[in-house]
Amino acid sequence: MTVLSLLTLPLLALALTLWSSPVLASDYHEQLFLQPLPQSSLLASFNFRGNTSQQSFEHQHFRYFPRALGQIIQHAHTRELHLRFTTGRWDAQSWGPRPWNGGKEGGTGVELWAWIDAPGDEEAFSKWVSLTQSLSGLFCASLNFVDSTRTTRPVVSFEPAGDHTAASQLHFLHGTLPGEVVCTENLTPFLKLLPCKGKAGISTLFDGHKLFDASWQSMSVDVRPVCPRKETNMIPRPVRNEDLVCDTSKPYNSEETCYPLEKTTETAWSLNEIFGRTINGVCPLAGSDGASEPTVCLRTPHERGVLAAEGAIETKKGDGFTRCYNLAPSQPFDLLIPEQPVHTQVPLDEPILHAERTIVGHGQERGGMRIIFGNPSNASAVDFIYFETLPWFLRPYIHTLRATITGRDGMRREVAASEIIKETFYRPAIDRERGTQLELALSVPAASTVTLTYDFEKAILRYTEYPPDANRGFNVAPAVIRILDPAQRAPLYLRSTSLLLPLPTPDFSMPYNVIILTSTVIALAFGTIFNIMVRRVVSLDEAAALGAQTLKGRLLGKVVALRDRFKGKGTKVE
Amino acid sequence: MSVDRRKVAVFGAAFVLRLLLIGLFPSLPDLLTGRVEVSTPVNSFKRLQEGLFLYTRNVSPYDGGVFHQAPLLLPLFALLPDVRSSPLPTAIFYFLVDLVNAHALSTISESGQSIQGKLHSAVRKHIRWDGVSVAAWFLFNPFTIATCLARSTSVFTTSGILFAVSNAVGGNNVNAMLALGFASYLSLYPALLFIPLILLCYDQRTQNPLPNVAVFVAQQGAILLASVSGLLGLSYLITGNFWEFMSATYGFHLLVPDLTPNVGLWWYFFIEMFDSFREFFLGVFWLHLASYVGGMTVRLRRQPLFIITSLLGVFAIFKPYPSISDASLFFALLPLYRHLFPLMRYTFVAISVLLYSTLLGPAFYHLWIYAGSGNANFFYAITLVWSLGLSILLADSIFAALRDEWEQAHPEAQGVEVKQV
Repeated sequence: MTVLSLLTLPLLALALTLWSSPVLASDYHEQLFLQPLPQSSLLASFNFRGNTSQQSFEHQHFRYFPRALGQIIQHAHTRELHLRFTTGRWDAQSWGPRPWNGGKEGGTGVELWAWIDAPGDEEAFSKWVSLTQSLSGLFCASLNFVDSTRTTRPVVSFEPAGDHTAASQLHFLHGTLPGEVVCTENLTPFLKLLPCKGKAGISTLFDGHKLFDASWQSMSVDVRPVCPRKETNMIPRPVRNEDLVCDTSKPYNSEETCYPLEKTTETAWSLNEIFGRTINGVCPLAGSDGASEPTVCLRTPHERGVLAAEGAIETKKGDGFTRCYNLAPSQPFDLLIPEQPVHTQVPLDEPILHAERTIVGHGQERGGMRIIFGNPSNASAVDFIYFETLPWFLRPYIHTLRATITGRDGMRREVAASEIIKETFYRPAIDRERGTQLELALSVPAASTVTLTYDFEKAILRYTEYPPDANRGFNVAPAVIRILDPAQRAPLYLRSTSLLLPLPTPDFSMPYNVIILTSTVIALAFGTIFNIMVRRVVSLDEAAALGAQTLKGRLLGKVVALRDRFKGKGTKVE
Repeated sequence: MSVDRRKVAVFGAAFVLRLLLIGLFPSLPDLLTGRVEVSTPVNSFKRLQEGLFLYTRNVSPYDGGVFHQAPLLLPLFALLPDVRSSPLPTAIFYFLVDLVNAHALSTISESGQSIQGKLHSAVRKHIRWDGVSVAAWFLFNPFTIATCLARSTSVFTTSGILFAVSNAVGGNNVNAMLALGFASYLSLYPALLFIPLILLCYDQRTQNPLPNVAVFVAQQGAILLASVSGLLGLSYLITGNFWEFMSATYGFHLLVPDLTPNVGLWWYFFIEMFDSFREFFLGVFWLHLASYVGGMTVRLRRQPLFIITSLLGVFAIFKPYPSISDASLFFALLPLYRHLFPLMRYTFVAISVLLYSTLLGPAFYHLWIYAGSGNANFFYAITLVWSLGLSILLADSIFAALRDEWEQAHPEAQGVEVKQV
């Protein structure tokens, strides 16, 4: 098989964790997790985790924690920071639920949210501005465009992931840049934050050409303070037997057996083929605290033959699917998975919720938003919070919010919006000041699809407010969905794709013409009306008499007299 | 008795016509509500619904960029049943407002003020329409019908102005000032009618000796101020935040931040205006609008009702968010001056231009917004033509009024060719 038919889906996740206890020493871990997905796709998840004690963080004594980021965070009084760079679309229908429950990804473009310690709203906002400006420089991204119109303060959609002292006055701010194009220039600063800088360890696989060919790609930076407690294992838990997806259509299906869906052979691939290079040993700084976590993990059935480079120690996990490798120091490492028939498949979970958001309607004057939530579960309803920010030039009419429910039978019925929507938090936009913020607490009943629609109007802007490519349209930030599942300890996040909103455009080439033409019409009206009002009405005879007295009249009279004299002479001669 | 029967017939027919229109085309009101020619940001029914939705859920409708109408409309419309489930009560309410407006108009017409004032008497008194015809002209004007079906809130401003005038010609100046206060409270610009309305009221005073002019103006001004401040006080009780609603309503009228297309001249001008000159031209445009009040008051002092009519024409052309409802109000008052029609010179041109822009306006808007085969200049050009047509009509009617005044002074010169010097 070729590389072309194998889509790489790398997921990059950097989790930098601050420890507030002075007892614990600093440490650093990194891990690559690989999982082949249906349709010849591969999920590659790179995880880097650095810890530093609160004390050394406060004294700016950085070892594994990147100094550049640490100083920005301290300067902006940021207590917790989450930054996401995402491109592409995760196809939940074929790839199953999102990696890390959507917790390590953002909406298309750049998404940033932070908890800032400040005495008041205005101070928090000024610190937020300094944070975005600094991060913009650090990550070579246009984060400085996150201004007041793109900043919101969601109430229920986000929760701090770290442990915060009750004394601090935390302000939560959230900003998105849906139009930002994520590319290599954002990856390089990211690499520089890592202790081994891409020279050793799993980060040696980062080749901008290969990574950004992926169908979906997300890069995340999380900084949070944590109190010392037992660290949760970053490796995903295996799927329980009762959760396995079996082919129940077979007549010989029974409860004891689980028949996977048929597929003859699985394609061959290797790390070198996908990333264009091999892993250059382990990062010597990783696992320096003695705990040796395996560096590379692969989630594929145990029966599948996998050839690893020499020197690596393979450990198979008891779940029957996961195997991990401890790499030998300073030796190149590669994985080779030959083509072979497979009989078992790694089961994929059914996503808890499908969500899709589109703009409907035609024309540049108004449109409608349609949000579709699908609950695939047959048993339980899904409760979640839907959060969206809209730019101010998209004016939603919330009174037109309607909900329809479609059951499995395909029957659509309109329901009162209050039946689905438990709570609403709505903050309308103010022109040129702030965007719309809409948070809805929704509940989708089992085995049904809920469609929410509302109308909106597109504002027309001043011509200087349009970007140079005005007819491309304006980006609308993706909606964030937070699923409230009591069974899950960590919150589950889902994001819709970003939208492109075409606005009516004026003619950019003729400001002078418009000023001149409008002024002409006004001058015509003003001139005519005032001309009529200031002049006297006279009959034509009077006008002639009056005309003779003016300078022009007298001059004309002289000319006529002169002409008569010439004519008179002519007749004499004859 | 027969006149009354005619009036009932006209009013009934107008009501039935509107009812038939919404009965036969149930989607017509929503279609018209969405038209930029009918609904502007300050009178759109859809925006009112949004404000009402927020108001009934205890969210301040003024803390947002959508709702810019007067606060007292909110409790008024909260009383009416929900439009989506039962549109008929709201529609009938608007029909009745239209009929009430027409009644005020027929009162104005029957007072004969347009023909025979205190200081002026028209030469061609025999050429006139009676009140019922003037009301019919108003009620069956397609612009009025479209405004009524679109449920635009400018019909309430129209009511305020028409009631102010009908009370003034009836000599009831307290009510006139109260009605003008209501209209000014709703949309600010009717406050400019204060001076001509004072003149109209003053000319109705018959007691001997006449009241002192300064005292009279102060009295009427105080009544107007009291009515406006009373309404503002009530609004404060409703909204709870005085400056928030003041800046969202009157600030919005004055500063024109929303540049949604309409039939006026402001929107495209301020889209294309350079940022550093925006404030300057806002000032110039407002000053220009206000300058007509002084000029007309001085020149047409003998015909205060005609000043009001002409000023309404000026507003229909030059106000920041004009719609066809403003034009329909001007067209409603114009038939009071039926006796001036023979003196007008460019009626054919004006009417052709207005018809031309009425038909091509929606077409060009469609080409720009939906078909994408035209650009903004198409619709902009049509708004220029529309404004030009209205200003030709306005200038021509002013000329006719002045000629009428001149003929009154020179009875021997009736019908001769005239010239202005």
